[in-house]
Amino acid sequence: MADGPLRGIRILDLTHVWAGPLGTRVLSDLGAEIVKIERSLGRGPREVVDSPIGGWIGGEPGDDPWNNKSAFIKLARNRQSVSLDLKSPRGRETFLQLVAVADVVIENFSARAMPTLDLDYEALKAANPSVIYVSMPGYGKYGPYRDWVAFGTTVEPMSGLTNVMGYSKEEPRSTAMALPDPIAGVSAAAAVVTALRRREQTGQGAFVEMSLFESGVSFQGPWLVEHQFGGDVEPLGNRHPGMAPHGVYRCLGEDDWLALACPDAAAWRALCAVVGDLDPSLDLDGRTASHDHIDEVITTWTCQRHKVDATAQLQKAGVAAGPVNSTPEMLADPQVQHRKFFVPYERFSTPIPGNPIRMAGISPDDWTPCPKLGADNAAVLKDWLRYTDQQIADLADQTIITDQPPE
Amino acid sequence: MDRVLEIGNHAAGYCGRLFVQAGYEVVRIEPATRAPAWVRDEAMDLFLHPGKRRVAVDSIELIEQLANQADVVILEADSSDSVDRYRFDQWSTPVKVAITPFGRTGPKKNWQATAHVLLAIGGYTNIMGDPDRAPLSLPGHYLEFQCGQFAYTAANACRLAGERNQVDISMLECVMALSQFTTMMWHCMGMVRTRHGNDFWWVVPTNLFPCKDGWVYINIIQTFWEAFTGFIDRPELLNDVRFTTNDLRMENREAMHEIVEQSLAAWTKSEVRKRAAAARIPAGVVQTLGEVLADAHLAERDFWQMVEGGSQAVRVPSLPFRMDNEPRPSFSVSSVESVSEEHHG
Repeated sequence: MADGPLRGIRILDLTHVWAGPLGTRVLSDLGAEIVKIERSLGRGPREVVDSPIGGWIGGEPGDDPWNNKSAFIKLARNRQSVSLDLKSPRGRETFLQLVAVADVVIENFSARAMPTLDLDYEALKAANPSVIYVSMPGYGKYGPYRDWVAFGTTVEPMSGLTNVMGYSKEEPRSTAMALPDPIAGVSAAAAVVTALRRREQTGQGAFVEMSLFESGVSFQGPWLVEHQFGGDVEPLGNRHPGMAPHGVYRCLGEDDWLALACPDAAAWRALCAVVGDLDPSLDLDGRTASHDHIDEVITTWTCQRHKVDATAQLQKAGVAAGPVNSTPEMLADPQVQHRKFFVPYERFSTPIPGNPIRMAGISPDDWTPCPKLGADNAAVLKDWLRYTDQQIADLADQTIITDQPPE
Repeated sequence: MDRVLEIGNHAAGYCGRLFVQAGYEVVRIEPATRAPAWVRDEAMDLFLHPGKRRVAVDSIELIEQLANQADVVILEADSSDSVDRYRFDQWSTPVKVAITPFGRTGPKKNWQATAHVLLAIGGYTNIMGDPDRAPLSLPGHYLEFQCGQFAYTAANACRLAGERNQVDISMLECVMALSQFTTMMWHCMGMVRTRHGNDFWWVVPTNLFPCKDGWVYINIIQTFWEAFTGFIDRPELLNDVRFTTNDLRMENREAMHEIVEQSLAAWTKSEVRKRAAAARIPAGVVQTLGEVLADAHLAERDFWQMVEGGSQAVRVPSLPFRMDNEPRPSFSVSSVESVSEEHHG
């Protein structure tokens, strides 16, 4: 398991899909001891129904397809798996015993799920007064939209982002990445360390409430303030209100492009020296006014070059530029390779993104692959709760714990 | 409580904002030159810098003195060499975080980049936009703010453990850490994810559709298919062999989209929201910034903070997480103090 500054912090992870598991992955990389509490169908049924997005680890569903969904595996390193039926009284009781010896419980169910299981904050707090409970439903635990069904994709337009992204005002575009999810995921990690430090100072646990919606809106803060000043905020395509030129330019190749930005006059002069046919004396207003012409000149230059060669030439002159990379190009980038950002600890040497927090004491060399469903039922119940073999066998007999989806 | 020193632009600024909101004392050293923002400087200050002490410092030596008095320092710089110019490695601050475009090691550690460039290198830009047009870059400060969140998390983890440590955060690695499934799709399926406009592509219907007075995003995984047919008043589709599974809906994508467009065209955003809530299907309308500010849900949740400073008081989003339902704090933005070695000493 991973080591790091959060070693000794025990987290019960009931999260699923993207935002929640991303948050606990960040915390696990920092050394937190994560136990993933999963329902028997949490990874899907026994049989293959549809092709999962991202495919199967190793390319095939295998004998236990529920354990081989790559998008799930990507987010589930450095943890143990306990498959526990929280709907059964005995499963609930066992869960609350785990809560009693945990530091953090985190979930991203709908707002109604935990109360339905009689596992709201009051129940958790009764089991452990100093527990930190992080709840992250799509629209939060209360408010008029609390019961709305939410995915990151549907929350993104609600946040205001789609209104300012696109080729033009008439052509809004989504990010295609459900951006509130990764925002909320990293925010959840920030929330957990905030609550842990507060507990260190006060001795008090906490109920930490958050939502995909507010995570998405929080990142639109500058535009929301600008709007109150009467600012005109509209989609600008690939342009920027404070930089010119700023764009994505076609290069040699079928669908090859280069991103370029000039944040200041020095960068502009450097660009002029490389590309030619541009006026290095133009200030920002002048460059903005003649952006169409500048784009034409740059495109004439980039169209004759491969994106990697053009980038190298521009960077050498001090211009911020980079290739628009496809996934294999990104993986092969010399900087990415040098820093070994993608880590092949998982089966079939699958490259999994690392953690951008790099410091002494944390190392991907310690990371462990995603466990199989329920792989650690016995180990966790013995280690955390001192359960006997007989108690564990009884739970298994009643299918309160399991290591596979139901028939 | 920790004393935090913040040096840099939008990433360090967002990190410092998190520390302020958590109750810590933050001193911000204003950069000599501001990085271009997507909004006017005053708007950025009101969002990022309420509650901070803001100082202009005239020497590296004085910055070092301030750093040595802090418990945490967050330094955002435009390259690894720029970090070195601060003599960052010599500072005695217990927890030091450096945020740079490419990190402090590697062949590109001194390359120039903005968020726009890093999103391109890190794989985001390639999948945004239309297939037959230029890829679209992501507007706004998503990347810088995510880097700020990582920096904050790292610094607090170290402080919690009582560790002295030095953290290297690469903005490019923040992009790559936050990819959805592109790398898995490539390695496990041999497929390169490309651009599909607003269509999520692998789940149908999942797309941005026009409605009577705007746009609405629908995301229908199999679980919601039956409810969705009710939502659009087309229950007979449940038995339509073209659409019974997601794989079939992918095969009949155009026909599916046409049906959805016809249904949504008759409804306003408000009607879509009411119907989606009643049918319990995932749908979200495109809200304007004004609509977000007027949103009833956010208002009832007391989401906004009032911030004073500059020419007017404004409403600013509070943090995305809230402890024990505590009241949202209010702050003001201070003016920048000039600090010289003479005055500091």
